[in-house]
Amino acid sequence: MKSSHGSILSRLDDAVRWTGIPARVADALSDDPSVDRKHQPLRWVPLLVIAVSCLQLVVCLIWPLEMDRISLGAAVSIMTGMMVSIMTGVLVVYTSGPLGKPSREDDEREAALRKDSFLFCLGLLAGLNGLGQPILLIMSHWQNWQTGHSAIVVVCALILNANLLGTLPTLYASWNFRQLPKE
Amino acid sequence: MSLHNRIAVFRAERGISRRQLAEVVGVNPQTIGYLERGDYQPSLELALKIARHFGVAVEMIFSLDRFAMTFGRTGEGE
Repeated sequence: MKSSHGSILSRLDDAVRWTGIPARVADALSDDPSVDRKHQPLRWVPLLVIAVSCLQLVVCLIWPLEMDRISLGAAVSIMTGMMVSIMTGVLVVYTSGPLGKPSREDDEREAALRKDSFLFCLGLLAGLNGLGQPILLIMSHWQNWQTGHSAIVVVCALILNANLLGTLPTLYASWNFRQLPKE
Repeated sequence: MSLHNRIAVFRAERGISRRQLAEVVGVNPQTIGYLERGDYQPSLELALKIARHFGVAVEMIFSLDRFAMTFGRTGEGE
């Protein structure tokens, strides 16, 4: 019985260590903290935020809100809630990621990385919008979208754009991050 | 085109840490690490600052060709 308790507790300890939070706390409290302790690479969190935003757009495309059944106020409330929650995630990702510190503090490598990250992001956004807009136009024509449905899809696409603009640079910079060996 | 450097050799020889060198030349210590590993190519300004700090010509630290193995103190008699 005692060993199973020990096993559960050790597994819980392992789970906590797996999150990386203890290492970050230890680093933050140490006398010789790493320079970028507040701006760690975030590889999976931005992907999760992007996935939620993509899912929201897909849901709006597949199951349109029937505007005659719900009030405009309810629709606006739902959309605002989703927008605020997703944009909060974007803000957290951006400020905690490798590009989160003010750009005036960048040295030349960090400035180059920031420039490359935003160029990658803007290039991808231009491509996605160039491809996505005709697709949405064709879909709206074939499926005879009502004005309300079109408006919701446009808002979802706008949220996705803002989301990608906020998270893609962090994602690019994080995947380019390579851990250096300790001296 | 890859740019080879001997920053780590000079640093080890003079007993300077990455952080100390970074503070002198005005970059993040991680940037020195990336430079040493060849993951980042410095600007001319940064290369000159590093060379000036070690008191040698920039060609002694940076080269387009691989550095040959040298024995003895780096930067002297070369």
